[in-house]
Amino acid sequence: MKLHRLIYFILAIGIISSAILIYFYIIQRDFTKNHREFLISINKLENANAGLTYLILENSLYVYHNQDEISQNAKELENEYNNLVNSNILKNKNYKSVSEGLFNLKKELLFDLENIEEYLMTNAGIKNSLVFLTRHVENATSLNQEDKEIFLKANQILKHFHDAIKMQDLDYIDGLDILIHSNSQSSKTQEFINVFNLHANYLLKKYPPFINITKQVLKNDTHLSIKRISNNFSKLALNDFQALDIFASVIFTIFILSLLTIVLLFMKYQRENKKLLKTKESLEYSNTYDMLTGLFNRKVLEDDLSKSDFPHILVVNIDGFKHYNDIYGNNVGNILLKDLAKFLKLLLRVTNIPKCKVYRLGADEFGILFEDIDKKIAFDIGIELEKNIADHLFSIEKLRLNLTVSIASNCITPILENADLALKLIKKEQRSHVIEYKESLNLKRSVQENMETLELIKNAIADDRIIPFFQPIINLKTLKIEKYEALVRLQLLNGTFLSPFKFLDISKKTPYYYEITKIMIAKTIKVAEKFPKYRFSINISMVDILDDEITDILYESLKSHPLVCSRIDIELLEVEHLADIERVQEFIQTLHKFGSKVLIDDFGSGYSNFSYFSDLDIDIVKIDGSIVSEITTNERKLHMLKSMHQFSHGMGMECVAEFVETKESALLLRDIGVEYAQGYYFSQPLQMPLESDEVTI
Amino acid sequence: MMKFLLFIFIVSLSNAAEPISPIPLENNADIKKAQLGKELFFDTLLSKDNSTACVSCHDVYTGGADSRVVSEGFANTKGNIQAPTVFNAKYNFKQFWNGRANNLKEQANGPMNNPAEHNMNPKLVEERVNALKAYKEKFKVAYGVSNIPYDLVLDAIVEFENALTTPNAKFDKFLRNEVELSKEEKEGYIIFKQAGCIICHNGVNIGGNSFQKMGTFLEYESNNSYPDRAEITKKEENKNVFKVPTLRNITLTAPYFHDGSAKTLEKAIEIMSKYNLGQKFSDEDVKKIVLFLGILKGETPEILEKL
Repeated sequence: MKLHRLIYFILAIGIISSAILIYFYIIQRDFTKNHREFLISINKLENANAGLTYLILENSLYVYHNQDEISQNAKELENEYNNLVNSNILKNKNYKSVSEGLFNLKKELLFDLENIEEYLMTNAGIKNSLVFLTRHVENATSLNQEDKEIFLKANQILKHFHDAIKMQDLDYIDGLDILIHSNSQSSKTQEFINVFNLHANYLLKKYPPFINITKQVLKNDTHLSIKRISNNFSKLALNDFQALDIFASVIFTIFILSLLTIVLLFMKYQRENKKLLKTKESLEYSNTYDMLTGLFNRKVLEDDLSKSDFPHILVVNIDGFKHYNDIYGNNVGNILLKDLAKFLKLLLRVTNIPKCKVYRLGADEFGILFEDIDKKIAFDIGIELEKNIADHLFSIEKLRLNLTVSIASNCITPILENADLALKLIKKEQRSHVIEYKESLNLKRSVQENMETLELIKNAIADDRIIPFFQPIINLKTLKIEKYEALVRLQLLNGTFLSPFKFLDISKKTPYYYEITKIMIAKTIKVAEKFPKYRFSINISMVDILDDEITDILYESLKSHPLVCSRIDIELLEVEHLADIERVQEFIQTLHKFGSKVLIDDFGSGYSNFSYFSDLDIDIVKIDGSIVSEITTNERKLHMLKSMHQFSHGMGMECVAEFVETKESALLLRDIGVEYAQGYYFSQPLQMPLESDEVTI
Repeated sequence: MMKFLLFIFIVSLSNAAEPISPIPLENNADIKKAQLGKELFFDTLLSKDNSTACVSCHDVYTGGADSRVVSEGFANTKGNIQAPTVFNAKYNFKQFWNGRANNLKEQANGPMNNPAEHNMNPKLVEERVNALKAYKEKFKVAYGVSNIPYDLVLDAIVEFENALTTPNAKFDKFLRNEVELSKEEKEGYIIFKQAGCIICHNGVNIGGNSFQKMGTFLEYESNNSYPDRAEITKKEENKNVFKVPTLRNITLTAPYFHDGSAKTLEKAIEIMSKYNLGQKFSDEDVKKIVLFLGILKGETPEILEKL
């Protein structure tokens, strides 16, 4: 269930259980109130009933008695009974038996009340007569003297009446002669006797019903019935209270649970909120800052550029940064980047440079953005930075590393693109480390051209217009053509040919380069098959040797042409830095097995390195055209050539002089003893080798 | 239980007071309602022919009772019993001679609907009372109602009757030890007790708290048949049984008994002593008893003095 739905659900449960709780509270309150009222009423009823019994007892003992209390008690009994019958709690069907009990009780109560009425009436008459007789006998003082016997008899009878009422026992008067008889002539005596007998008779008549009703009134079992009803009610109410208790526990549990769940959900929500906030923060940070170096990122630079009126940028790129990663591992590479970032910032701070911002643009590229700065100053800052970085020793753990950077300075839109192009130019030309982008660099056009050239290469490969040209290499001693150097040409649709420097470099690092190499090897081998008297050489860069794809093409081609392979030589082009000398050794050994020879091309130019010759089993050295072409005019170059020849000779290698363009040169070379020559003086590159190998100087 | 009762009994025995108690001095009737009740009590509007008011038979300016043997109500119809006093009626345990009403409201409802008395019905009462602006305003003040229900009409009358108490009788003052009785008054009271009158006439109303047979000693014969207790209980032995009437203000409420057969107190005492006590008092004793009964007259209720 989704979180918000769960929350609504829990909330609903919470509200419902709260409502039930309130409802329960009302029920429980009403029930308790009704229960209490009922108990109070039944208690009052019990008390009124007991009070009545007590008052009747009192009434029977006192001659004079205030009957107000009896009538009040009786009234209270009736009232409480009515309260009980109308009690709210009895509307519940569970209490039906209580209602029935009360219904039966009514009969008992009415019976009791009627009995009390009757008792009071009977009692009054008896009391009257007893009081009267007592006074009557007391007052008969004369009789005491005149007729003592009658007086005593009257007293005795009176005592019996009193005893009978005290003992509630009719035996005291039963069977006794309670009338006085006398033959006295005294009218006073006779009157006394008459009145006495009248009341004695009355008492005699009234005693049995009186004793009977008194016993009935005093011996009533109503209090037991009330007690029974009370107990029954309490028992039923206990059940209800227990049910209420259970109900309350359940509701309360639900309530607490939903409360807890809400709290838990709230906590979870808080936690997730915090997480979300953190993610958001880090996202915002990474939107703005580079995670590794803490510099602003490329996006910020782009934003800043769009806001800036006169932006000027320096793009700083680490030279050969890939090597650091390859050699020392990515960790060191990362630390290096961080340190460089710090160092850049430090430099920009200490060298009192106008306000600027530093960005990390890519893997090993940093940007420094100035606002409205003089071109010259920016360029000088670039030079200063480059110099400082080159002089700085970056220490990472135990390593002490030197870095060089290339810096492009630019204020011409599109700022970043132009700076990048300028950087590429630095890398390509390797002339300086800091460059200022100018329209005149035409870098942009060259990119355009590159794209067009690539298109050209692509089409040429498809149309089989990659064509080898062959330039003869002449043995100066025999004046015979011994070899041809295969040179790649791209035939344009108009039939003219494009030189390799116009397209070959561009093809490098594209799959076309392999295609071109493949075509050259295949076509050269085909030509070699046609001209068995010549050797053929193919140009391969030392960097190509490291490329398994190139070597595989070569090996496969040689292997599949066993008759030709021993006449195919390889001209190696020197490169600035040869990382893997062993691979080159291995390559040369393999070629030697095929019977191929290995030449070093353009020796004496660029980065010529004598150390190769100690490690590599080179067969032939080609002396660079920049030397050969000037031997007739420049003493120093002549000397260089001689030395080179001497050196090669000593090392057991033959020499080929390139760019032989005049007769003088050719003759001079023959005189020096250079083995082979090649150049326009003899022949320009040809589409096919010559049938005849004869040459004249 | 019995032990407890016995204990209370012994305690109360030692404190045994006179069986007659004085009327409380405080009357806590709601004066607004009582005043309104008073107007209604005097208003003949409450009888069908506008002839009879409550006061017609309960003359509160004498003894609160009717001086006629039997009352006359609607269209001069004669009633069947002597109207008892309304004074101190609230202290009676039941109302009417035969106790058929448990309280004053039930009582007031009786004559109102009795064809021989007011000959009204609740609806008619409401119509008449609500038609009068004065009543509507007063009910609004006293009860906060704009429409007057029948029940509140009765309630107001009852409240007036509650105000009709007569405290400070000389005998009450004597009971409170405020005055001394004269020798004869005191002797009258002693005879009243010793002759057994007090056995039925006791409590605050000196009666009015029990039923008793008229002629408990000697059968009392009456020409007419009066509504007695037997009408309620349907018991033969309740024939001629009535509520013991109050003796307060008894000198003002002649004629006496349910049948109004005794025109004077002396006659009433003679009848009572003969039929209910089986005695014959000497003239001197009767005189003393009458003197005693005289000091049961209390003060005129305060509400009757205000108009």
